[in-house]
Amino acid sequence: MAFLAPLFFVGLTALVVPVVIHMIQRERKEFIEFPSLMFVRKIPYRSFRRQRIRHWFLLLIRCAALLLLILAFARPFLNQSSLANSGSGAREVVVLLDRSYSMAYEDNWDRAKEAALNVIDELASDDRATVILFDSGAQVGPRSMVDRNRLRGLISDSELSAGTTQYGPALKLAEGIFEDSSLPGLEAILISDFQEMGLESATGIQFPEGAVLTPIFVGSDRSPNISVAGVLFEREYFSGRERVAVSARITNRHDQPVSDLNVSLEIDGREIESVDVGLQGNGSDTIDFSAITMGDVPMAGRVRIAPDALPVDDSFYFVMSPGQVVRVLLVKNDRALPESALHLRRALDIGASPSFEVVETDLASLTVSKLSDRNVVILDDIPAPPVEVLQALQQFVERGGGLLVVSGERSNWGVSSSGLLSGTLNPPIDREGRGGAIGFADYSHPIFELFSSPRSGDVTTARFFRYRPFEPNESSIVLARYDDGNPALTEHNLGDGKVLLWMSTLDNFWNDLSLKPIYLPFVHRITQYLASYKPSPGWYESGQVVNFLEQQGLSTNTNLNDRELVAVSPTGRRVPLSEGERAGFIALQEQGFYEIRDASANSGVQENLAVNVDLAEADLTTVDVDEFMGTITGRVSRSPSESTNPSRIISAADIERRQDLWWYFLVIAIVLFILETVMSNRLSRKTLDLG
Amino acid sequence: MDITNQTTPGARFVDPKVLARIGSLNLLARTVVDGFINGLHKAPYLGVSVDFAEHRGYMPGDDIRFIDWRVFARTDRFYVKQFEADTNTNFSVMLDVSKSMNFGSKSISKLDYGRYLAACLTYFCTKQRDRVGLVTFDDDIVTRIPSSAKHLDVVLHELDRVDAGRPGALEKPLFRATEFFKRRGIVVLISDFYEDPSVVVDALKPLCFGGTDLIVFHVLDPAEIDFPYDQAVSFQDLETGRKIPVVPDKLRDQYCQLVQDHITRLSKLCGENRIDYAMFNTAMPLDGALFKFLAMREKLSRKR
Repeated sequence: MAFLAPLFFVGLTALVVPVVIHMIQRERKEFIEFPSLMFVRKIPYRSFRRQRIRHWFLLLIRCAALLLLILAFARPFLNQSSLANSGSGAREVVVLLDRSYSMAYEDNWDRAKEAALNVIDELASDDRATVILFDSGAQVGPRSMVDRNRLRGLISDSELSAGTTQYGPALKLAEGIFEDSSLPGLEAILISDFQEMGLESATGIQFPEGAVLTPIFVGSDRSPNISVAGVLFEREYFSGRERVAVSARITNRHDQPVSDLNVSLEIDGREIESVDVGLQGNGSDTIDFSAITMGDVPMAGRVRIAPDALPVDDSFYFVMSPGQVVRVLLVKNDRALPESALHLRRALDIGASPSFEVVETDLASLTVSKLSDRNVVILDDIPAPPVEVLQALQQFVERGGGLLVVSGERSNWGVSSSGLLSGTLNPPIDREGRGGAIGFADYSHPIFELFSSPRSGDVTTARFFRYRPFEPNESSIVLARYDDGNPALTEHNLGDGKVLLWMSTLDNFWNDLSLKPIYLPFVHRITQYLASYKPSPGWYESGQVVNFLEQQGLSTNTNLNDRELVAVSPTGRRVPLSEGERAGFIALQEQGFYEIRDASANSGVQENLAVNVDLAEADLTTVDVDEFMGTITGRVSRSPSESTNPSRIISAADIERRQDLWWYFLVIAIVLFILETVMSNRLSRKTLDLG
Repeated sequence: MDITNQTTPGARFVDPKVLARIGSLNLLARTVVDGFINGLHKAPYLGVSVDFAEHRGYMPGDDIRFIDWRVFARTDRFYVKQFEADTNTNFSVMLDVSKSMNFGSKSISKLDYGRYLAACLTYFCTKQRDRVGLVTFDDDIVTRIPSSAKHLDVVLHELDRVDAGRPGALEKPLFRATEFFKRRGIVVLISDFYEDPSVVVDALKPLCFGGTDLIVFHVLDPAEIDFPYDQAVSFQDLETGRKIPVVPDKLRDQYCQLVQDHITRLSKLCGENRIDYAMFNTAMPLDGALFKFLAMREKLSRKR
């Protein structure tokens, strides 16, 4: 038995009170008026009843009640570490130390390490221990060690990561260590701030029979935290220059409102703009910064707020690249009216990420040179082109270009062109009445993926009154079919490029697709897909692994041996990118800017990669420890009374809080006080009656 | 003499507790005295006549109307009859109204008892054509009503109004009272006599020297005599306010002995100084007091 607040034992002096009450005559407050005490004064004064205790039982009750009250205030607890050390057999102890970035809140990390070191210090001589550091993943040190100094060193040298909390991997590792252990006692000690977000990963963990999991909570409930939740880029073109306005989203995850919060925007390390904002409790706000004129190279930026108790999520890093342009060649037939392909032109005029640069030409004017700088060629209802044009188009596609063939009234392509189309295009057929509709679409394909979610666009609403049946070859993939089974959109690859064939028109002549809301995204997705467009990510999340070559648009087979590419992490750690099988891959573990340098070219920073933490971790809502324990498995116990193996005391305050012995002492003391009141009243009444 | 149980038949309505419910002292006195007088006719101790006292030799200056001519005819000497003029005496009550008189363990306080007693005696004496007066005192004279045959109502009104408020002392007021009682008369002193008996008697002596017949009624509450308390509590002196923790069980015997010694000594000293002394328990019926008074009056007349 130990006590958290032993100073309260000074109150033991209060035990003198009932003794004194019993030893002295308890004089009543009231008094009797008497005409004259002339005779009383003549009698020598002596005390009689004060010299002996009359009600021993009452005295004992009063003393016991006071003693229990003092014990309750002294916060007693059973020192389980001594119990643990006196248990039978050695133990396999696994220390699970949460190092997710939420542990950076105030001094949680220091407390966690201190608790872990305490665990190591309290190990018995024949115990073995393993330290597992975990965030979204788990990192295990040497297993089942008896060397206390190494264990202490592992804990002392451990550092916080930028990862999120996931209990599952660490608990799974501990489960494996337990299964391999031959020691009779199995105990896992989980030191964490017990965030709710990682709870789901802990389901399904099955510790061996008799294993004990002892949670040590080092966080606090409903901790205030403000974080930069993200940024948005609003691009516009002004006088031929691209301007980007940055909007930042700030979130307050606490009940209390915040005022005069400083939010600033930094570009390339310099503060551009700073504003003060106020936030409601549990609210968020968007801050719009002034637009910045973009240059030709990407710019590294950061939005930061005044640091709070968790500074990790107070900055948001990003790389702002110049807007990408998809160059499109629109080929119309020679007799096309000027207003033909109006819907297609209008659709492609809209767009900022990427923007579309459309050049129109007719079949007669189509030359090879016109294809050279284009990403996508759209053949809008043209008859079969001459052989040389076909060959040029084929080469264009094989080099990686994209070709969209739109069928129409004049698209009488013969068998000779079936190689480009990968199938045979038949004469058009009419659908009577309300016309046909798209009956099938491959929503797993990038073109239709956008419409896969509910209320995100219905491709079946468009009515098709005429289209050309198509007989695809084996190399063709049908991406969409009409409700009568005829293909509506097919794809086949040719070299590094792609050819798409649309069986109807893209105006409102053969169908009303161009009048439907899905028309614009549909055209954009087809064009982006054909151009192999990939948006340049402004930032990555910590824990992501990035293929730098793919991100740069290089082939994975590119030989990097002649380039000494190095990634420099925000803390200055250098990761070579040109060596081994994993050449080009970077594991982004730290928050901030990774700098990609080419040491051979001696050209300085080649590119910046912005890395931010997962903001789900910024939600510091904790899970009840009991609920957490219930999630693990029903066989795991957390206290000596529930387990065949004793648990461990790590922190006196923690153990005292769990045991709550003071409560029992207090209840018994209250009962004794009530008993004392009843008894003393009865005795008093009896004395009065006798009087 | 314990007269508590010697209630006369006419005194059956004079229980002090019953009388306490009567608001008017006049009615109260009439109730007591009339009932008492009705009972007197059967009392064997009475029969003192006030018609005739004695013959005295004629002295020059005596009123010749009082010469008993029959005696002159037989003896040839002048004698004057003395009777009526001496029986119409001055009767005064000196009532102690100090704070200690305000004590009453039961339903009636010592002051109330003394008030009833004074009212009854005054009424009784008025019935006998005596002149009645009243003096109240604590540590000094509080009020004084000179003796007069017409002062019954005034006396009763004053008795009704009087209240105990200050600590008491006998020496000073009794010394000053000697100035009021220069003519012979009867003075009844009603008090609880919380003084040393020698001090009390020394204070009473000047009254006696003036020829006043002094009757001392010592009024005590039963609680003052028996000390029936059990619980150990603090006792507060009504007059001084001083508090003393007392364990009654342990000092009751000594207390009762001291009170009895006080009464005995006071009685003895009064007797030695020709002062009539009677002790009254407030639980005792009022007719007992009247009876005692009349018995003393009888003794006085015999002495004369």
